[in-house]
Amino acid sequence: MSRERLEKIVIQILRVMGLVVFIAIVAFPFYWMILSSFRSLGEILLKPANLGLDIRTINLHAYYEVLFQHGFLRYICNSVYVSVVTVVLSVTLATVGGYAVTRLRFRGREFMSYSILLIYMFPAIVLVIPLYVMFSRMGFRDSINLLILVYLAQTLPVGLYMLRSYFQTLPPEIEHAGLIDGCSRFSVIWRIIIPLSAPGLASVALYTFMIAWNEFLFAFMFLDTPEKFTLSRGVVQLAGSVHLSKQLVMAASVMVTLPILVFFLLFERYLVRGLTAGAMKG
Amino acid sequence: MNMASLSLKAITKRFGQILALYGVDLHVDHGEFCVLVGPSGCGKSTLLNIIAGLIQQDEGSVLIDGQSVDRLAPRERDVAMVFQNYALYPHMTVAQNLGFGLRMRGVPKQIIREQVLETARILGIEDLLDRKPRGLSGGQRQRVAMGRALVRRPRLFLLDEPLSNLDARLRASVRLELRHLHREIQSTIVYVTHDQVEAMTLGDKVVVMRQGKVHQIGRPETIYSRPADTFVATFIGSPEMNLYRGRLLHKDDRTHFQGAGFSLDIGGLQLNLGESEVEVGIRPEDIAIGQGGTTALKAKVEMISNIGSEKYIHARLGQESLTVRAPKEAAFQPGQVVPLTIDPDRVHIFHEGRRISWSAGSCSSSR
Repeated sequence: MSRERLEKIVIQILRVMGLVVFIAIVAFPFYWMILSSFRSLGEILLKPANLGLDIRTINLHAYYEVLFQHGFLRYICNSVYVSVVTVVLSVTLATVGGYAVTRLRFRGREFMSYSILLIYMFPAIVLVIPLYVMFSRMGFRDSINLLILVYLAQTLPVGLYMLRSYFQTLPPEIEHAGLIDGCSRFSVIWRIIIPLSAPGLASVALYTFMIAWNEFLFAFMFLDTPEKFTLSRGVVQLAGSVHLSKQLVMAASVMVTLPILVFFLLFERYLVRGLTAGAMKG
Repeated sequence: MNMASLSLKAITKRFGQILALYGVDLHVDHGEFCVLVGPSGCGKSTLLNIIAGLIQQDEGSVLIDGQSVDRLAPRERDVAMVFQNYALYPHMTVAQNLGFGLRMRGVPKQIIREQVLETARILGIEDLLDRKPRGLSGGQRQRVAMGRALVRRPRLFLLDEPLSNLDARLRASVRLELRHLHREIQSTIVYVTHDQVEAMTLGDKVVVMRQGKVHQIGRPETIYSRPADTFVATFIGSPEMNLYRGRLLHKDDRTHFQGAGFSLDIGGLQLNLGESEVEVGIRPEDIAIGQGGTTALKAKVEMISNIGSEKYIHARLGQESLTVRAPKEAAFQPGQVVPLTIDPDRVHIFHEGRRISWSAGSCSSSR
């Protein structure tokens, strides 16, 4: 056997092994979570090591209980509201801002352009305490709209940066053609830039949605009233409650994870394209 | 047909420290085909963008039909532009691309459809109307880009190197079509190119530019036969004009040009320049080779390029190199020493880079 061939085989084996290990680490907890959510508490306690899934014994009672007896219907609505509003605001502002720093010439443009990411360098944990104190004093704490503001501040820099990179890949001549054909700046953005940036916009939307949907720290600190809880906050509430029912926590966790998973699978192509578009010239 | 005249008054533009355009004056008449030509970076595209309103000039004024358009946005100037990379809207079909300008101007749908169809027919792209740009070849995209400009019947067409992304054969045929099209629609066109062949074949008026300055404006024949300076002389014409630095000497009522290792009799020309440093230019086709000449010039053949229809003889004249255009039948061998005949009337003389106009017995600076 030649050396090249041996090398090839070794690389192949390593690649497969790597994938298997990686998938096991990522997928196993997820599988475990779904499995447990389909069982009754008794089953889980009796046979904790049972990894087989029997379709006939699927039990959706945990979902019913979580949704209607533990207030998760409300939490889902809250999370949808927070995420959707954040996504809409973030995408809109990032489009306008990203366009401005790429195409328009104004004083401080360079500084603006580079300082966008500077904001992102403050970790959330550094900000959460001062914000908590500040908003408490102002009497704004315990508000869902406040959460939207915080999420927006967190996601907008990255969204701006992503769209800026995306806009830079669009040839300016297309916009010039639009301007000569009768567009104003805003109609150029609306009729030419936005349709052409669909992948970039989709990736910003997905990124923002993931952050807003999953975020826990600020939701935990800022929200006190159970009616205002978001999903992630609700799961922790549930997990910390007196009667620890594993299947309920698992069902709640599935409800948190599933939308993200579905969105990601639907938009994954755009996300990857949107993220790499800025890296390539032309 | 809707057409306008265009005037540029002392247009100046800086990009940071770089002077992109310096005091450009130009007048283009109704229905005239004006070609801006020059090496890349000479400011010709910048000038076109200023006319379109995409770039704001620092000084000077753009007038369309005598009216200043300096304060008008591109969409208000009623001009159309064809870009080098076509700049079609990738997310629209060909029909939508063509109709976009009309749609933005609020033209009723029915009329848009008619005009799009008519334009598509003129350009022979009727069967492409439902396709997206990415499904078109380079030549087809170029046609769509032209169509998008044509359909609006603007006052002024601006074309920015529209043929440079086409392959050589297609370029030649589209060039002819453009000429036909212009004759048909009689519109005012400003056309930017770095290709002197396009400039000479298309233009009613040719503007030769370099480093943000206009070197000469004139009809193609004038540009070719009476270049204003040494830059125009060598930039226009292929193969390049032979250009030699030397001195003018007067002897027995005759003037001689003394170059490096050779002397050229240019006849009874009276120059009030005295015996001064000049440059002398001779086009390769203005030299007869291999016949007993009166100038007693001799050159040594070094190399022969055969391009099929004719031959270029590369020879050595004194210490200078010389290119001569010869018929395809010419049979010379490298190393051969041949006599040259040069008609003194065809010799261009430049003093400090500028052309000296002269005829037998008199002369004056063309400036």
